[in-house]
Amino acid sequence: MTHAAVFDDVHKTYKPNPLSSRSHVAAVRGITLTIPTGSIFGLLGPNRAGKTTLIKLLLSLARPTKGTIQRLGASITNRQTLGRVGYMHENHAFPRYLSASEVLAFYGGLSGLQSELLPRLVDESLTRVGLADRRAEPISRFSKGMVQRLGLAQALINDPDLLILDEPTEGLDLYGRKLLREVVRERQAKGKTVLLVSHVLPEVEELCDRAAAIVAGQVAWTGPLSELRQSGTLEESLFAMYEKGMPR
Amino acid sequence: MNLPFAIRTIRWMVRDTFRQSLHTKLFWVMLALTMVCVGFCFSISVSGDMPPTTLEFEIPAYITQQEAERIGLDKVKADGVRIINGEASFGFGLIKVPVGRHRGDAVRFVQLWLAAALADTVGVLLSLLWTAGFLPTFLEPQAATILLAKPAPRWSVLVGKYIGVVLFVSLHAVLFVGGTWLAIGLRTGVWNGSYWLAVPLLVMNFGIFFSVSTFLAVATRSTVACIFGTLLFWLLCWALNFTHLRLIAYPVDGLSGVSQMMLEIGYWIFPKPLDLGGIFFDAMRADGFSMKLPELIATQEKGLFHPELSIATSAAFAAGTLALAANEFRTMDY
Repeated sequence: MTHAAVFDDVHKTYKPNPLSSRSHVAAVRGITLTIPTGSIFGLLGPNRAGKTTLIKLLLSLARPTKGTIQRLGASITNRQTLGRVGYMHENHAFPRYLSASEVLAFYGGLSGLQSELLPRLVDESLTRVGLADRRAEPISRFSKGMVQRLGLAQALINDPDLLILDEPTEGLDLYGRKLLREVVRERQAKGKTVLLVSHVLPEVEELCDRAAAIVAGQVAWTGPLSELRQSGTLEESLFAMYEKGMPR
Repeated sequence: MNLPFAIRTIRWMVRDTFRQSLHTKLFWVMLALTMVCVGFCFSISVSGDMPPTTLEFEIPAYITQQEAERIGLDKVKADGVRIINGEASFGFGLIKVPVGRHRGDAVRFVQLWLAAALADTVGVLLSLLWTAGFLPTFLEPQAATILLAKPAPRWSVLVGKYIGVVLFVSLHAVLFVGGTWLAIGLRTGVWNGSYWLAVPLLVMNFGIFFSVSTFLAVATRSTVACIFGTLLFWLLCWALNFTHLRLIAYPVDGLSGVSQMMLEIGYWIFPKPLDLGGIFFDAMRADGFSMKLPELIATQEKGLFHPELSIATSAAFAAGTLALAANEFRTMDY
C-alpha cells in the first residue's frame, strides 16, 4: 500500500544566511514517520518544535539536509505530485489585487488544472466555502475569516489526495470551523488523506484518528490518539511529553 | 521537465504582473507621463525649411533673420549667405526658436532627445525604480509559500514574473514611442520610421538591468537593495563602457597590462548601455544634425566598434543573470 507521506531519518538544518538574520538552526533531527493513506493525521507539538519545517519539507518548500521523503508514492524531487496536494496555512497573503474567483483561477492554474475546467471548479470551490456571492469582490475587502475560507477553497480546488492544513482554524469564526470539520470528514469519506497541524487539541481529538507529537525536532510519540488517552487526558499526556522534551 | 506546463505557468505569471501593475496604479502613472510627453509633442510645429544635411558636422552657411538685419540684408545677400526662415515652436507657440535645419532633421533631433535622453535614461531609471518592489513583495514567504507548493517549476514562476514586468514596460515603451511619433507626425508631417527603433532599445536596456534587480530580489528579498544595487550597477556599466571607449579613442600611457585586461574583461562581460545608445544614434542617421560622443566616433573610425557583439554580449549578460537568479530561486529554502 502506498502511504501518503513517508519520512525516513529526515534532518533539516538551516544554515546561517549572511543576507538575512537567519542563524544556524537544527529544526528537524532524524524524523522517521509514516502518514497512512486515508487517515486524518494530526501533527502536534509546542512552538518551534519543527512541525512547520516538516510540512515545508513535504511540500518541497525546503530541502532536507539528510534523509529521504516520499510524497504520494514518489520522491519529493518529483514536483508533479504537488498537483495532487492541497495546502492551506494560517497567515497566507494572497495578492490583494485579485478577486476571490481570480485567486482560485490563479492557484488552480498553477496546480496544473486545465483552463477549460477552471470556471466550473472555481464556482464549486467558492460555493463549498460559502463565498459564491463574493466571487467578484477584491479580497482586500475580505475579513481574516473570509480569507481563511478562501485559502481552504484554494487548497481544495484540485480535489487533492493529500490535504495539508497548517493551523487552519486561526481566524475562523464558528461557521468557518464547522465548515472545516465538514470538509475534513468529506475528505476522509472519499478515502483522501488529511494532515492537520494544530494547537487546538479538541479539534485534533475530534477529527484525527492518528497523530504524531514533535518535540525539539524529533518524533516524541506517534500512534492512534486513543493510545495517549490511556494515561490521562490528551492535554496531560502531551504536556508531560513537551516538558520532558525528549522522545520516548 | 514539463515544458507546456512551464509555459502555462509563465503565462499565468505575466497575467498576474499586469494585474499587479493596474492595482498599484503604476500602469496609470506611466500612462499619464506618456500622455504628458505626447501632449508636448502635439504642441510642436516646425515651419520653413533648409536643405537636408548630408555631411557629418556640416558647418551651416546661414544666419538668423535678426543677425541678417543687424548686418544688413543687402550685404548678406551680396555675400551669398542664406537666411534661416524656419522656426520651431513648442507649447503651441509659447516658445519659438529659429531652425537652421531641414524639417525632417529638426523632427529627428527632437525624437533623438525624447528616445535617448528622456526615455532611455530617465524613463528606464524610473521604470527600474517603480518596478523594483514587484519581485521582493512577491517573494515574501507569506505571499510565496502556497504558490511554491504548487507543481509549477520554480524557475518558470520567476521567469514568468520577469517576463511580465519586461512586457509591461515594453507596452509602455510602445505607447510612448507610438504616441510621440503620431503626435509629431500629425503636427509636422514628418513620419520618421527609424524612431520606432527606440522601442527595442528601451526594452533591451530595461530588460538587462531588471535582470540584475531580479537577482537581487531573489538574493535579498529587499526592495531597497534592488533599487540601490541596480542603480549602482547601472552607473558601473556606464563608467566601464565609457572608460573602454575613451581608452580606445585616447590611449593612455603607463596603464598596467593587468588594469587594461580587467577593463577589457569587464567591458565584454557587462552590459554596454553607451554602445546601445550609439547603435540607436546610427540607426536614426543622426550624424547630420546631432553630435555623437567623440569617443564613440574614434572607436568606430578605428574599426573597433562591434554593434552586433555589443548587443549579443549585453543580452547574454541579462540571460546569464536571470539564469543565475532562477537557479538560486530553484534551490532556495522557504
